[in-house]
Amino acid sequence: MATKTPIRLTINHESYDVEVEPRWLLSDVIRHQLGLIGTHVGCEQGVCGACTILVDGKPERSCLVFAVQAEGADITTVEGLSTDPQHLTALQESFRDHHALQCGYCTSGMLLTATALLKKEPHPTEDAIREALSGNVCRCTGYQFIVDAILAVANGSKEVQE
Amino acid sequence: MTEQAMRPQFMGARVKRVEDPRLLTGQARYVDDIEVPGMLEVAFVRSPHAAAKILSMDLEAARHAPGVRAVWTFEDCPVMLWQRDTYEVGQPVLAHDEVRYVGEPIVAIIAENRYLAEDAAELVTIRYETKTPVLDMVDAIAESPRRVHPEAQNVFFHKVYASKGFDEAFNAAEHHLSETFRTTRQTAVTLEPRCTAAMLDPASGRMTIYASTQSPHRVRSDMCELLGWDENQIRVIVPEVGGGFGMKANTYPEDIIVVSAAQKLRKPVKWVSDRTESLLSDVHARDDIHEAEVAFNSDGKIVGFRDHLMADGGAYPAYPFSGAVGETSLASRVLTGPYDIPYIATTIDCTYSNKTPLGAYRGVWGPIASFVQEGLIDRVARALGKDPADIRRINMIRPDQFPYRNSAGMVYDQGSYGESMEEALKLVDYKEFRRRQDTLRHEGRYVGIGISVFVEPTAMASSEAGSVGYESVFIRIEPTGKVTAAFGLGPTGQGHETTMAQLIADQVGVNFEDVVILHGDTDSAPFGGGTGGSRSGPIGGGAALVAGREMRARLVKLAAHLLEAGEEDIELGAGKAWVAGVPDRAMTIKELAEVAYTHVKRIPEGLPIGLELVARYQPKRAVSFSNGTHIAEVEVDVLSGLIRVLNYVVVNDCGRLINPMIVEGQIQGGVAQGIGSAFLESLRYDEHGQLVTTSLMDYLLPEATEVPRITTRHLVTPSEGEGGIKGMGEGSLIGAPAALVNAVSDALAPFGAMVRQLPVLPNDVLDWVNA
Ligand code: FES
Ligand code: FES
Repeated sequence: MATKTPIRLTINHESYDVEVEPRWLLSDVIRHQLGLIGTHVGCEQGVCGACTILVDGKPERSCLVFAVQAEGADITTVEGLSTDPQHLTALQESFRDHHALQCGYCTSGMLLTATALLKKEPHPTEDAIREALSGNVCRCTGYQFIVDAILAVANGSKEVQE
Repeated sequence: MTEQAMRPQFMGARVKRVEDPRLLTGQARYVDDIEVPGMLEVAFVRSPHAAAKILSMDLEAARHAPGVRAVWTFEDCPVMLWQRDTYEVGQPVLAHDEVRYVGEPIVAIIAENRYLAEDAAELVTIRYETKTPVLDMVDAIAESPRRVHPEAQNVFFHKVYASKGFDEAFNAAEHHLSETFRTTRQTAVTLEPRCTAAMLDPASGRMTIYASTQSPHRVRSDMCELLGWDENQIRVIVPEVGGGFGMKANTYPEDIIVVSAAQKLRKPVKWVSDRTESLLSDVHARDDIHEAEVAFNSDGKIVGFRDHLMADGGAYPAYPFSGAVGETSLASRVLTGPYDIPYIATTIDCTYSNKTPLGAYRGVWGPIASFVQEGLIDRVARALGKDPADIRRINMIRPDQFPYRNSAGMVYDQGSYGESMEEALKLVDYKEFRRRQDTLRHEGRYVGIGISVFVEPTAMASSEAGSVGYESVFIRIEPTGKVTAAFGLGPTGQGHETTMAQLIADQVGVNFEDVVILHGDTDSAPFGGGTGGSRSGPIGGGAALVAGREMRARLVKLAAHLLEAGEEDIELGAGKAWVAGVPDRAMTIKELAEVAYTHVKRIPEGLPIGLELVARYQPKRAVSFSNGTHIAEVEVDVLSGLIRVLNYVVVNDCGRLINPMIVEGQIQGGVAQGIGSAFLESLRYDEHGQLVTTSLMDYLLPEATEVPRITTRHLVTPSEGEGGIKGMGEGSLIGAPAALVNAVSDALAPFGAMVRQLPVLPNDVLDWVNA
């Protein structure tokens, strides 16, 4: 069996020491070694965006990165937004208000992509939002309500927490 | 029913979904999130050939690979789907003597984790002798180049129908025109791939199956039937499901392997499909040809449709229903859509081929039939030089014709067919569009408009979610006065925990927050059909209303006795019962529950102890039709062939709405899938029967930049069933492709274009423009 390497990952401001095989995908390690199951895997082909996480604030596909490559990076997963149903972030709340999710499988990736966008550009246009989301597939919602949810945050007063 | 229950508080309201918080915080559990110590994972060796004899298999290296616990072939799990019963053929869950489609599972590797299982799969060597694949539908129907299954004809379903006096009337019409319509293979592509886990419960010896399915009880029945288990020995749990769209209504070979392996190895076992496996082995859909002909008169009145419907069912009928049969049968019966077309004649042929089995994808027959029906209407309009909206007006079923029996014998309940079209035309400002179109054409720009008026048969006695025409609800008021209700439905994102709670809260007289809906567990839910065929709202919701009402009656009786009032004077609401006009004479539902469970001596004669019951609901009508109109505006770039959707309007009528927000979500999502169906999605096989679209880079799904803003409006024509609810999960995808491609035909009318194949790709556009 392949030998494992110890690595330290920084995820949602916590550090995790894990032993990984060099070929293990970051998405697998996040989900199955660390139990952060909010990151979903929809294709492992880098196309669907379900596995999107933030690496140093930028959206990345965790299915295209080996875990060993992520050492030293500052990673945010959906669990880094809010895991408390009573205290959702403004963006999570807005997704709920606008019915921006159905099955929820794409949702983590959508939230993180939108978080990064709003950080960079607090008041994006609808076109800019659609452009930013174009690497995230949603099979259920048809996107409009996701776009509306993000627009509402962009036009509102609430800050986007990360 | 009391006055108050007839004026519901929650039904019809835009209640926010109770499912959302767990999904938004990444706390929801899908099948792949179920991990149990010692769990093994499966990888499959799949056929690389469309058709071949298996000469030999060398499994030794795989057996000795690190972490491998078992390597299985058909001998280890000799189960056949369709035990040559309904159809003459059965599908072995692992191919053994012959492979019949690329992606067919042959060997199952069960190992400590998926990485190791895949490593071992690489070590399997199989020798094949390839055969000529059967790939062309029309040839296959003529038994050429050969039979897919030597023991059975390629055509496994054949049906002929003609309405009385068809020939005479059809031939007597002034005009005829014909067209061959083709839909290419598409598939649901749920974002969560197919997956199954199974484990024995060490205490009871029962089998627990975690299934990503639309129909928990169907999975249980299928396992019993195929593996010889008793129903009380199996528990099916459906955790969060990341989309279904009809594709997760089947039982697949992989499910059988997982459950069997868990049983024989006495270990928890899990299999999660990767995306390539999904595209190869999830049921495909929409592989149909319609050779259609229409007879009409100069005034635009259509006399009849004739259609030869053909479908390529793939190598085996999917279990336990064949999509090819589903797509063609219902299409043949609803082909006339919302129009009063007195004569129809149809012939159906479903054939085997060396391709992936055909199953259901949202709308099943509908997107195909609408494409044909609306395509024919537009052709009639063009042939007569009339406005397509006018041809629709002339032929539309009128309100005074309901209940309307169509020429294939289907009976339609009330709908708003013409009204929905007029409303949609107003929303797009049709006249103004025609003016704009004219002006733009002079500037060399090609915009077009497409109208699609659809009917959606819902709440049917049988559907892909099983052949039961009813749903059941187990409802209980807990000793604390809170309500728990369990359903046999199988939601995959539709929000039943919200909508069903809305219905029950109104009936029982409690707050929405006080109702908890359980589903997806055969141990808690009464037997039910599951979710599919747009049945959960009307039938599941109907059962919720009946259960709530029966519980309400129990509460009223109890309260009347305890408050010393007549039953007719008891009111219920907001968790309380009181005497009408005397709000002080009241008891909370919690207090009533205390009597029902604890101070049982106070229960009046004739009422049972406790507050729980099971209610079932089966609609009286065999089917209830939703309807609506979609109008799409597109611009076609004649240089690049690219198509852009500029504007999209939906006027939808699904009877009374339970939650408009959720209904609108279904419409938006269905239209987006329609854009995929019309312009992007196509599963392509090469001449050797290799599927060449095995990643999402090749099988293109609509993205946020390709879906326009969609305007939706509701009309409400209640059904005659419980609550006036009609189903609506599929209508948006039934209506959309026809509207979109008709818009392309309209835009390219100066080039004489008429779309006859789904999807329309840029090359098709360039072919018309350069012809
Ligand atoms: S799972 Fe990573 S992009 Fe699809
Ligand atoms: S909500 Fe299901 S994929 Fe987006």
